Amino acid sequence: MELNISKYTYINQLFASVNGKKLVVTGAPEKGKFLTALYRKLNVEYPKFFKMDTLSKLGFLASELIFENGKQRFIPREDGVIICFNRSSSLETDILFQSSLEPGNFFPSPSVFVYTLPNIVAGEIAIRNKFLGETSFYISEKFNPEQIFSAVDIAFQNNKTNFVLASWVESFELSCEVFMLLVEKKTGKDAIPFSIKCITELFNNEHLYG
Amino acid sequence: MDELILNLKKEIIEVLNLEDVKPEDIIDDAPLFGEGLGLDSIDALELIVLMEKNYGIKLKDPAQGKEVFRSIRVMADYIQTNRTK
Repeated sequence: MELNISKYTYINQLFASVNGKKLVVTGAPEKGKFLTALYRKLNVEYPKFFKMDTLSKLGFLASELIFENGKQRFIPREDGVIICFNRSSSLETDILFQSSLEPGNFFPSPSVFVYTLPNIVAGEIAIRNKFLGETSFYISEKFNPEQIFSAVDIAFQNNKTNFVLASWVESFELSCEVFMLLVEKKTGKDAIPFSIKCITELFNNEHLYG
Repeated sequence: MDELILNLKKEIIEVLNLEDVKPEDIIDDAPLFGEGLGLDSIDALELIVLMEKNYGIKLKDPAQGKEVFRSIRVMADYIQTNRTK
């Protein structure tokens, strides 16, 4: 089956790009402030964004960039699969939550607790877009294009899946990044072939040289 | 009471990350849940924590929150009567 990358996006604490083209975002080069500035630029009304942890904010923003002016969404559909990968799981939020458990200052925050699982980001994207298909989250030591290729390929081994949203979404300490691909069966004349080589090149172009 | 209501509004905005809401946007007698601010069940739990942390009030029965969190004014009344700090 021939698969294509119809659109891809990359966001870190310094810049955001769609299909390799940088967006103009006015915001401080600090991850919280930059992601808020990007949210403002997108002109989206979704107050829940401000309640999310960084991992979910990254996934949300990347999926907004992928789907803006494009694929029909906001109506329930079961033909889309969301697959996420990262290295640090939800460790950043886990540490934040742990800090609220200290003796003498024991006020655990329910709204922080709900993000102490990494796969919440996939759920946030699914809820926002009303995607009812499968979601999965894999922890990997480093960005692994072979693993992404394999997971996406398997997701298409049925007659139901029409698109896969695959991402490497990572946040820990001062840095963060999300690299998200929309992979589809449809063949467009400008579409990028879905291959390990292309995944590697597109990621490196943004991650290393962006 | 007016000062308590204003402080409460500021605390709620901060703890619930209501980024685009200003204290004057929260009407004293308007329902906190179901409409207006669009708060959810996690927000309700967060308000219970806020009451304990800032005012020393422990809501032992979460169902009590339904009454206490009816509006900012009701919440402020409850805090004024029951606060331990």
